[in-house]
Amino acid sequence: MTLTGYADAGADIETVRADVAIIGTGGAGLMCALHVADAAPEATVALVSKGIVGKSGCTRMVQGGFNAALRAPDTVEAHFADTLRGGQFLNDQELAWTLVCDAPQVIGELETKVGCFFDRDAEGRIHQKAFAGQSFDRTVHRGDLTGIEIMGRLRDQMFRTGPAELEDVRALDLLTGAHGELAGVLGLSIRHGRFVVVQARVVVVATGGAATMYKVAAPAREKTGDGVALCWRAGLALRDMEMLQFHPTGLLAGESRLTGAVLEEGLRGAGAHLLNGDGERYMARYDAERMERSTRDVVARASYTEVAAGRGTPGGGVWLDIASVLGAEEVQRRFPGMTDRTRQVGQDLSTGPVEVSPTAHFHMGGVIIGPDCGTAIDGLLVAGEDAGGVHGANRLGGNGVAESTVFGARAGDTAAVLLDSRGFTEPDAAQVAEGVRGALAPLRRESGPEPFGLTRRLKELMWEHAGVVRSADGLRQAAVGLADLAGEVATVRASGPAQVNYAWQEALDLPNQVTVARILVAAALARTESRGAHARADHPAQDDENWLRYTVARPGPESDPVVETRPVEFTRLDLAGRPVAGHADGQPR
Amino acid sequence: MRQPDAEPAGTVEVVVRRSDPSRPVSYQVSRIRPMKVLDALLAIQRDLDPTLAFRFSCRVAMCGTCTVRMNGRAVLACQAEIPDGAGPVHVEPLAGLPVLRDLVTDTAPFFAQWQAVTPYFVPRSDLAGPARIRPDSPERAVIDPRLDCITCGACYSSCGIAAAGRGFLGPAALNRALVLISDSRDGAAAQRLARVAAPDGTDRCHYIYGCSADCPKGLDPAGAIRALRRRRFRLPGWLPRPRKIKSMTLNGDR
Repeated sequence: MTLTGYADAGADIETVRADVAIIGTGGAGLMCALHVADAAPEATVALVSKGIVGKSGCTRMVQGGFNAALRAPDTVEAHFADTLRGGQFLNDQELAWTLVCDAPQVIGELETKVGCFFDRDAEGRIHQKAFAGQSFDRTVHRGDLTGIEIMGRLRDQMFRTGPAELEDVRALDLLTGAHGELAGVLGLSIRHGRFVVVQARVVVVATGGAATMYKVAAPAREKTGDGVALCWRAGLALRDMEMLQFHPTGLLAGESRLTGAVLEEGLRGAGAHLLNGDGERYMARYDAERMERSTRDVVARASYTEVAAGRGTPGGGVWLDIASVLGAEEVQRRFPGMTDRTRQVGQDLSTGPVEVSPTAHFHMGGVIIGPDCGTAIDGLLVAGEDAGGVHGANRLGGNGVAESTVFGARAGDTAAVLLDSRGFTEPDAAQVAEGVRGALAPLRRESGPEPFGLTRRLKELMWEHAGVVRSADGLRQAAVGLADLAGEVATVRASGPAQVNYAWQEALDLPNQVTVARILVAAALARTESRGAHARADHPAQDDENWLRYTVARPGPESDPVVETRPVEFTRLDLAGRPVAGHADGQPR
Repeated sequence: MRQPDAEPAGTVEVVVRRSDPSRPVSYQVSRIRPMKVLDALLAIQRDLDPTLAFRFSCRVAMCGTCTVRMNGRAVLACQAEIPDGAGPVHVEPLAGLPVLRDLVTDTAPFFAQWQAVTPYFVPRSDLAGPARIRPDSPERAVIDPRLDCITCGACYSSCGIAAAGRGFLGPAALNRALVLISDSRDGAAAQRLARVAAPDGTDRCHYIYGCSADCPKGLDPAGAIRALRRRRFRLPGWLPRPRKIKSMTLNGDR
């Protein structure tokens, strides 16, 4: 590391040079780093990690597992068809096809190179369990806390490959050179309160989503839409931003931070019942065929509707009951992590029903990418939850960690290829100075609102008006509220020192969250139908006539989102699930 | 989200060790139920003193970043319940790690120990696909109960030798070493066995059992250290390594 002068910024700035800068150290980021190391062993890699490397973000939190059509009679075609049906055919079919084709190889890689060991059946083959919305039991897992194994082993591999680990460094914005070409990333060391310019030939954005902007939410604290927001500020278009998944079985634990933590989908896969406050298995009225094993969008909306109709539990949720289906011993044996989790909040999954609620979980929308993770900016790649299109209008359980690792690996391979043709660019010093000044502003202000209250308001507003079920009126109220909030965020003040100051960090999270929230609301207003995770009370029907189209949001004047729509390209399967001539097989384009 | 309970249940006194001696250390926090140490820290930061620094990420005992000492014992802040009538709850940073600020520590010394045992998987050259290993095999019986380590550092903090910088690889690293040494898919067992036999390895353990007492995932690192000693001296209970390994093929294999 060398110190260089960005004297204009009035702050200490370090410069780090790396061939590839990866923002985010979840499943996508670390798979990417591993693939760069394999494909271009001489290349230098910098990991920009908002928290501890391998311990921030959500791959860590994966419970149920990883969908892969490992062996006959299951097929990648069946996995593909399930993924499109689950996504209500809004998916980018080339991305979804890439996902299902690469998933078995990535499982192989995780087992034979990374060292993961997934649960086995009695014959010693990889065990695959039942998840919702799938025609085959294809979810690979390690118990019911799979993320510990995947992220633990991936993190260990970093000790072998030795990237530069910029731990506790958040990415503020992308940097460009004198002619607008990508030059790297401006970061802020949370530990030291100092800035760092990461000069890189290729930048990979893999920070994860923004679902923490809701009152009841599942993700890790770092996930505040940083990646999507910095891509937006760099001018990239976003797709499907209205598609925010609510997981149907979030824990209810009063005001504790544990509220919103997910109880895994394998519980429903294993036959758990959902009961309303009257003790009725209400899913019979919403999806009589699949019942509790219906997809997340359907189940979350059903639960929300029951609670809204006054048929909820005392805590404002519904009951999840697996104890009376499997018995205490079996629940404890198959779901030890989930049983512990409910005991943590004074309930017990193994002996009785527990209260659950829909919880904001995953953003299907994100940056438009191709199967190689490339974007409209040369040298900028996006992988994992920051990208959009793989899952369409709803993500199947088990396809999330599959996406992170499959596309993380691809981003690494692509980065290695790009290194042949891309050199270093000197970042524009004025841009660095402006970024530094903007980030320091909350710390230097003498007065202004504290960030935590603003975050609370954002969460309430989004939950109330842009949540499980939406309407034009509510979304307009959300838009007005967000505009107000954006004004206050611009005056936010963080007291305390620059070092390890999480109030300051929250002040820097807020603009990103509010940016993503405003785009989400604009896209949700544009989609005048209900599809997948996007439910409109004023447009309750799915409208295949007019809405087999995906939304594309672009920054307009004043960075306000402008939303247009584009027709879905049925490149492989038609709406009836029949192969489209000429594209039935073959590797992703 | 943070309105008072329907039945006000009073407050809890939380005493936090701060880096800046001019900052208050004792806070009265509104009681909620359930109430984890993390909830108390969040309440202080959000409502009483925004400058309080502590670390957390997943809040469901999977990331292992919120480890602190509660009344002297290493715990995950997201898991440790503040019981009714607990009296003042003392929260301090983990022992033996440099404090960055307040409760936030630098985990580098912990991971330096971890790295010393070659913690990453080194695949055997004949591992062509996922290995066929039965769940009731002897190696899985050794490995499975030791696999869910989240490298939270609770065992390190609880070990008077590891955390005191007294030349010891420490419980987490040795537990990891046993897992890999027992894994028939791994090709670096001999190297790791030699490493743990060094003077800072298994023999440095004094069997105080602080590690096993405080592991928030219920692992038994002290048991792992005993098992490693058996393995080193080929005492009854050590596993021979298989000569051949059976692999399976997957869709898309070429």
